[in-house]
Amino acid sequence: MRGWMLVAPAALFFAVLFVLPVGNMIRYGFFQQTATGDLDTHITLANYARLANVDLYRKVLVTTMRVSLFTTLAAMVLAYPVALVMVRGNRMLSRALSVIVIAPLLVNVVIRTYGWRIILANSDSGVLNWLLSYCGLGPVRLLYTEWAIVIGSVHVFLPLMVLPLAAALGRINPAVEEAGRTLGASAWQNFRSVTLPLSVPGLAVGSTLVFSLTASSFVAPALLGGNFAKMLGTLVEEQIMSVFDWPFGAAIATVMIVIVLAINLAYSRLIERRFPAPGRT
Amino acid sequence: MERSALGPAAVPLTLAALLVAGFLLAPLVVPVMISFSDTPFVAWPPQGFTLKWYWKILNEEEFTSSFRFSLVLGVAATIGALALGTPAAIGLTRHKFPGRGLVQGLLLSPLIFPMLVTGIALLRLATSTGAQNSLVNLVLGHVLVTVPYVVRTVSASLSLIDPAIEEAGRTLGASRIRCFWWVTRPQIMPGLVAGAIFAFVTSFDNYPVSMWLADAVNIPLPLMIFTLTSRFFDPGIAAIAALMILLSVALILVLERVTGLQRAMSM
Repeated sequence: MRGWMLVAPAALFFAVLFVLPVGNMIRYGFFQQTATGDLDTHITLANYARLANVDLYRKVLVTTMRVSLFTTLAAMVLAYPVALVMVRGNRMLSRALSVIVIAPLLVNVVIRTYGWRIILANSDSGVLNWLLSYCGLGPVRLLYTEWAIVIGSVHVFLPLMVLPLAAALGRINPAVEEAGRTLGASAWQNFRSVTLPLSVPGLAVGSTLVFSLTASSFVAPALLGGNFAKMLGTLVEEQIMSVFDWPFGAAIATVMIVIVLAINLAYSRLIERRFPAPGRT
Repeated sequence: MERSALGPAAVPLTLAALLVAGFLLAPLVVPVMISFSDTPFVAWPPQGFTLKWYWKILNEEEFTSSFRFSLVLGVAATIGALALGTPAAIGLTRHKFPGRGLVQGLLLSPLIFPMLVTGIALLRLATSTGAQNSLVNLVLGHVLVTVPYVVRTVSASLSLIDPAIEEAGRTLGASRIRCFWWVTRPQIMPGLVAGAIFAFVTSFDNYPVSMWLADAVNIPLPLMIFTLTSRFFDPGIAAIAALMILLSVALILVLERVTGLQRAMSM
């Protein structure tokens, strides 16, 4: 009873300002905006059909999934060496790396994305293109493409891949790898058949976070993708703030919820099956 | 360099890690360098040295008023998050009651739930109930997304201390409130401070909730910076970025002092 009294204020706050409004918003996604701007409260799937059937919107959906997937894969690849060195490298290097990994989390996402705008700018005054032309290589057009969003998103979310991965790597008993070496496994074999499988729980947590956060982000696609590479986040903003089509906007937001829930569910299933009971981060 | 446990691939692995570190630092270092550049607009490489952009933005009313507004918003949200999150964390770690798991899941859910959607749902609520005070709406929205951090850090602190000490305080006749203030609170201070810092930073940096709830007068700093990036093309924005990065560095040092950065992040 005491426990309930202590959590009651927070639980009530969340019920009124989170559960109910989100439920109500989902309901809105099944309404429709009439041509005159009124609300037609007959339950319909029209908004979802529109999202799936209109080329423009379907493209946004596909772009969102593709950018989130590439971001997750790139984050995995980049996180691995960092996490390994953080867990097993010498103390000083490990400390320095953990500060460098965590620091960006505390810097405003608009600021970080702005930094990428300067680096990826399409003219010669962009840092990357300046470097390339210095090396005698042709200019690349990155800003306002999906690649720019991927690069910016990897930067924003990489810490969320590194930290769970480092935690998983830290739990691996060094004796297991030692055994692999003693049995004659090469460094690569040892990594592939011992370290990598044992780090899957960390990768799973990290991927879940990175994928869902990328799929529902706004700042990176807005500043780095512009009008040329739209994602669900930028589309929903446009529909609600400029077009004022609340039902369609609510439907897009609901799709985001479904994506995030599906990813989280899929991963918890995978982890439960392959790593029963312990091993969760 | 001492021998590390990285095995035969130590050198390439370390090199790769350093490259990634460079990738992480690049978008922070570049704006800082450009903020001193004596060129009329943002261009690489920076030229000359000037502090005039700092002078300019510190006298930019839009920037300073948004900065002050975000400070107020962040402090209000932090107080709200501590007030709701601390008792909740105590209830969740110290007591067993039906529905405990459900409540815990609910209070932590904003961490994985898309913030953009939280913002949309709150705007829908504000519109349909006629709640037009955007400062109040923003504070409520920010409390919602910052409570999980307080719950997490305070719970982690609570699980480290021995409940027997609290029981001793109770047995010696202290009321529950006195016991919390004089026995529990001093022991969970690192959790409270870490929770407060995370709550403040989360609010101060928040974009995806604020973007729906702000109006033309109450503009949190991240939204203002976003607008300024598409209006100003001089290194003034880079100076803003440099100042914000400096602020983050200060916060990191505080966190490192109070709890240790790695521990704070794992809580």
